[in-house]
This record gives sequence, C-alpha cells and structure tokens, in this order.
Amino acid sequence: MKTARSGTAFGAGLLYAAMLCGITAPPSATAADDAAPAKDTAAAEAPDPRLVARGKRLYVFCQACHATEEVKGSKIGPNLAGILDRQVAILEDTLYSDALRQQDFVWDEEKLDVWLLRPATLVPGTSMAFVGLPREENRAAIIAYLKTL
Amino acid sequence: MVVIGGGLSGLNSALLLNDFGLDVIVLEGSQRVGGRARTADGVETRPEYGASQIGRSYARAIDLCSRMGLNLIPQDRFIMPMSFNVGGTWVRSDEWADSPVNKLVGDEREIPPSLVGMGLMNRLNPLKNLDDWLSPEFFSYDVSMLELLQKSGASPEALRLASYYLDLRTTSSLAIMQERTRTLFDANFGRTESSGEATAFGLGGTNERGEEIPAIRNIEGGVSRLPEAIAAALGDRVRLGKVAAAIDMSGPDAEIRCLDGSRYRADFVVAAVPFSTLRNISVSPGFSGRQAEAVLTLGYRGTTRAYGLVEAPYWEEDGFEPSFWTDGTVQTMWVMEKRPGEDRHRFILTFTGMTSARIDQLPDDKALALIESEIARARPAARGRFRFLALYGWRKNPLILGCRHMFAPGQIARFAREMIVPHHRLHFAGEHTRRMDFGMESALESGERAAFEILQRA
Repeated sequence: MKTARSGTAFGAGLLYAAMLCGITAPPSATAADDAAPAKDTAAAEAPDPRLVARGKRLYVFCQACHATEEVKGSKIGPNLAGILDRQVAILEDTLYSDALRQQDFVWDEEKLDVWLLRPATLVPGTSMAFVGLPREENRAAIIAYLKTL
Repeated sequence: MVVIGGGLSGLNSALLLNDFGLDVIVLEGSQRVGGRARTADGVETRPEYGASQIGRSYARAIDLCSRMGLNLIPQDRFIMPMSFNVGGTWVRSDEWADSPVNKLVGDEREIPPSLVGMGLMNRLNPLKNLDDWLSPEFFSYDVSMLELLQKSGASPEALRLASYYLDLRTTSSLAIMQERTRTLFDANFGRTESSGEATAFGLGGTNERGEEIPAIRNIEGGVSRLPEAIAAALGDRVRLGKVAAAIDMSGPDAEIRCLDGSRYRADFVVAAVPFSTLRNISVSPGFSGRQAEAVLTLGYRGTTRAYGLVEAPYWEEDGFEPSFWTDGTVQTMWVMEKRPGEDRHRFILTFTGMTSARIDQLPDDKALALIESEIARARPAARGRFRFLALYGWRKNPLILGCRHMFAPGQIARFAREMIVPHHRLHFAGEHTRRMDFGMESALESGERAAFEILQRA
C-alpha cells in the first residue's frame, strides 16, 4: 500500500488499497505518508486550471450530497458554493449534525484537507457519510475546485 | 467501458461514467433492469420483491430520484400488532414479558421473540463510525453471532429464538453491526438532541429544523421506476439478455464474451453482479489470494416472501393480534393497516434460512399450498381467510442466487478490504462491495465508487 503513489498501470487499484488504508490507519500517519511535494503550487495565487479540472471531475464523489452553482438537485448536505472561508454550519435550512453545529471554525484549506481525509476525525459524530480521500493530490484537487465555487 | 449487471449499482456507475462523456455499455443478463429493486407491477397491490426503502440519509437515492423526476412518498406500511406462537402456544405481545411461555432470562424477557437476535446484537454493538467495521480494532467482533452471544451470557432460549432472525453459526457479528450502525445513523440523521430518542426500530417525534422528512420513503409508482428511468436516460447503451460468460484481460484491453456469442471490448469493466454469480464468470487473468477467496466464498442468503390479502379479520375470532411470529415454518406474518382506498388488509410472509429453503425447493403452487396449510396449523382461525397474490424467492433467481450477501465469521478480517481492489481492468460494484452504506444506498454507493476509480484512470 505504500506504493500507492506510483504511476503503474494498476495505479487505481493501489489507490483504492490506499483509500482503504486511510480508513484503517491512524489518519495522521496516512496524511504524513501521503504528503506530496507539489502541494503548494495550487494554493495561494492563481488556481492551477489542471488541478481545478481534476477536482471538478472528482466532485462526482461529492455531488450526490452537495449542490453548487452548477450542480442542482435534491441534496441532503449543505450547498458548497462559497464554502472556502465560510463559518462552519452557518447555512439556514440545512441539516447539520449537532456535532458540527457545536464547532467554531472557518473552512480553510487546512480544515478541508483534514475533513476530506476522514470527516469523523475532524468532527466526531458528524452526519457526513463519506469514505474519505487518503490521496493528498485528490484532496488538493477538490479543494482547488471548491475555491472556484 | 462495459458494466456487467443492470442493477442499481451498475446503472449508477454507467450513468456517472456517461455523464463524463465516457462510452458505456451495460450488459444485463435478464430481460429487465433493476436487479434486486423489483416492483411486481402485474400483481394486485403491486408488492416490492426486494429493496424499496429510502432512508433520510440515502443521499444518492434521493438525488437520483430528483434527477429522474421521481417522487418520494412516505412509506405507507404500518404493521399491525404482533402475537407470538412459541413452542405451539400463543401469547399476545402485551403478555409476552410475563408469560410462562417466555423462557428468556433476566432483561432478555422484555424483548419480543421476533426481535431477540437484533435486540441482543444492538446491545453489544461497539461501532461508532460507519467505517469502523473495516478497522482491525473491531475484528474481534468478526466471529459468529453464536460465539458472541454465548460469550455475552445470552440464555439458551435467546440463542434458539435468535436463530430465527439469522443463522447464528454462519453470520459474522461484525457484518450485522455494520448494518445496525448504518441504520442508527439514518435514524439520527437530521435530528437534534432535543427531538427525542431514536431507536434502531424506527422513529418518533419530528425534526425541529428544516422541513420534516419521514424516516422512510418509497418511490411513487414502485422502486422499479428508478432503474427504468436510469436505463431510459442511458438509452441503447443498456443491452438486455446479455449473460456475460467471460472477461478476458490478457490482451491490450478487456474483452467480454456473452453466452449469445456477442463480444464487447472495453478499457475498463465494472463487475456489478453479486459474487454469487461473478464466481461463475470466467475471468482471466484469474483472481488470486484473498480476492479469489472472496469471490468464491462470500456468503449469500436466500429470503422468500409471500404476499397476499386478508379476506376476513381472523383475529377477531381468536383474540390474538393480526400479525404473528412463530418458531415453526411460518416465521413472520405482517398484517398491514389498510391504506386509503383499500378494503382489505395486505400481508407479507417472510421466510429466511432453512424455512426459505423448504419453500424454495417447491414450485410456486405447491409452495403456497404448504404455506397455507402451515398457517392453518399454526393459527386455525386464519384458515380460509387469506388469499395469496404472489411468492418470490431470491435464491431461485439464477442470475442473482440470493437476496443479499452475508459475511461468514472471519470473512471481514480476511477479505472485506481486499475484495474490492480493482483487478487489472476490472472494478467491483454491488451491495456486497459497500463501504459505509446499507440497503439500496449501498448499491448506489458502490456504483459511484467504481465510477470514481475509473474516472481517475480513464
């Protein structure tokens, strides 16, 4: 599972092994193990269009629960348009868990990164049923996409 | 892309891949889509043979229905009170706890005999998070229900009654706890601390914030409308009557060969069929290690249900409650409150384990005659006062071979994580490949995951 980042033909298989690893291993260990050197490029300045495009594609994992400006439908989770720098659990007419309502923080990249790795690690008792994204580059891509919303 | 299996998991995979502009073909072996989501449209009262319930946190089912223009309606299935026949003696539900027929011990005595297995397992459930069941921390619970219940001090009578709920020797306790945890999660979803206590058996009270959402909803017109709508959206990409016989990945791509001689080439394949039938498809290179073990040995369960109408309220004659549970061949007979416009009560009989096998071995007319005589034997007042409409046993469906998977003791620790790792160009979907979900939502969850995996490779 440690080879999950290699670009072999079976990369996705190993990726999923790594995703599972993320379920079971202590998240900190997984996150450290997952740390990739290229994390920074997308961050502060202009968004990397390729990263954003990749994030948009990976949003398939989010879209059943979360509407955006583009994604419509009956979603049971909060709308993610403007999620970056938004106070936690702030939208009206949205079903948040008590656990999330009791939090007091702002959704920044760092918080989203921990959240997307495994929501229950950041907020035990969350009602977000999400298997998690152990691969750092996948989390970075989705966060880059979320920043554009 | 080729998706093998036109149930909800395969259709959801195909829809998502198609959304991203990938070329998708769905090969469905039977003449209909939907798999274990199946509304008996030709039958009076239009019963559901398989999945039908949509919980409040079933995000994908809710979203898909909205996308497909299908309405969700509150489940209108209220089960009338239930009496018990234990060891040949009848007991009303309100007399059970103090009845001499009740051989349970201590605080077990409060649990209705029909719920002993589930009730005791709920008490022992250590899981908090939806993914806990995949963590080695909890693998000590991946033992048979018999072992766990015995260790916890369950009485011999509790073990006997619980065995009607599920076969205690061949069922992993951890698998049951995954489902109970997901059910509780659903019960609590969108609730606040002040809005009352949720139990695994249903909900009371209402939400305090937002719109009130019923705990369980159904699709208006029947659950089959969902797979039909997805298939309609996919158009001629869905091919019926295509029974896959082989998946050959020894060349530069994958070739799928069907029994009718047709062949399909694909960069990636989703096996959205249960392992009970995947194990009959020739896959090369073959599976190896724990994945091979999973495909070949994952347990499956048969459930058989009979549906009908009560012609006269037999309970007025014998004084027991309309629904009943027995420790004989007739296990559970639910009698439902009448829905608006109905002049008679509906009933559903559910058979599991060996009683399901006893029914399934017979042709329908003989099976129904057997059930009728068993009901008359157990509850003479009911004789001649009910009428069957339909009988369905999932084990008899040759392309499915069971109503659901069930991990045997030790199988979660052995291969629950390894079983879904993509095998060359082959990805896995289906309720048995769930990670965090339950019921219909677990099928959709798995299809979404398979699509996600492929989207990263394609």
